[in-house]
Amino acid sequence: MEPVHERELVDRCRRQEPGAFEDLVNQFKHLVFALITRTVSDPSRAEDLAQDVFLRIHRGLPYFRGDARLSTWIYRIVINVCTEDGGRARPSVSLDDPDSRVPAPSVVDRRFSDLELHDRLEKAIRQLPVQYRLLIAGHYLEGVRYEDLADAMHLPLGTVKTQLHRAKRQLRQILEGELK
Amino acid sequence: MTCADVADLVDLIASGDLAADAAVSAHLSTCAACAQSLDTARRLEAVLRGRPAPAAPAQFTSRLVNRLRRANWRREQIVDGVFNGAMVLAALLVATGLWIALRHTGLPLASRDALDLVSAGLIAAAQKVTPSLPLYAGATGVLVVALGLWWWASDSPAL
Repeated sequence: MEPVHERELVDRCRRQEPGAFEDLVNQFKHLVFALITRTVSDPSRAEDLAQDVFLRIHRGLPYFRGDARLSTWIYRIVINVCTEDGGRARPSVSLDDPDSRVPAPSVVDRRFSDLELHDRLEKAIRQLPVQYRLLIAGHYLEGVRYEDLADAMHLPLGTVKTQLHRAKRQLRQILEGELK
Repeated sequence: MTCADVADLVDLIASGDLAADAAVSAHLSTCAACAQSLDTARRLEAVLRGRPAPAAPAQFTSRLVNRLRRANWRREQIVDGVFNGAMVLAALLVATGLWIALRHTGLPLASRDALDLVSAGLIAAAQKVTPSLPLYAGATGVLVVALGLWWWASDSPAL
């Protein structure tokens, strides 16, 4: 979304124009929902958390000065909500639970099910710290500007890239057995 | 070029952020372990790119607006409660002040007369209102049912 349109949307919301906040929600709901679903330990809570994000946006709009882009501010709220949720007890995740166990790579060939690989990837991602999960979620999500994520995390772009690199390396190590 | 050097570059090469130069390519062609790492990183990259992006549920916006409306209503109720409490407190303070003033100015008789006057007025007003009490009770009942229906409708996620 262009900054000019963002500004316009924020102004409409501040003037409490009918339907303005709904427009804002419709504009960002899929991004926010996808980011949260990909980041939190318990995806069944994603809708509640996404709603929390928009409630905070609604409360904060009168104080939003527009120094940062609207999307950056929204990502910052998503980060806060996910980080707070990360403080809750995480469901224990094991890549080796009986339901998802895969025979040793030496035994099977590489044509194992994509579905199973995705499932194991999700479990592996949940083992990463929240910040890494958010980076992985945002980086591979269409429509998320990487610079906005860096701004939202108050980190230089270079640092964010390094962290993403580390996150992928950790993921690779966790999944090493499955991907060989 | 060592395996440790290549290990730092594997993910960058797999994501396309870095092109393998001649030295890296030469190492990869002779080191099976590093070539395997790069292959693994490329597969991981492909899986991450293909990761589905779940869309928000169809009723997301309407459910959010309902939640927002309820939150606003509760906030208004709190504000109303605080306001009403403050008004009662102010009335009590005024009444107490008046009572103290009357006691100290030696006007208890006058105040007793005023009290009698007010009491007589209240009794007359009550006698006038009594015949219409069933009507007021009915109207209050209708109002309570309407408020209950509104509360139920705004609380129900299906509506």
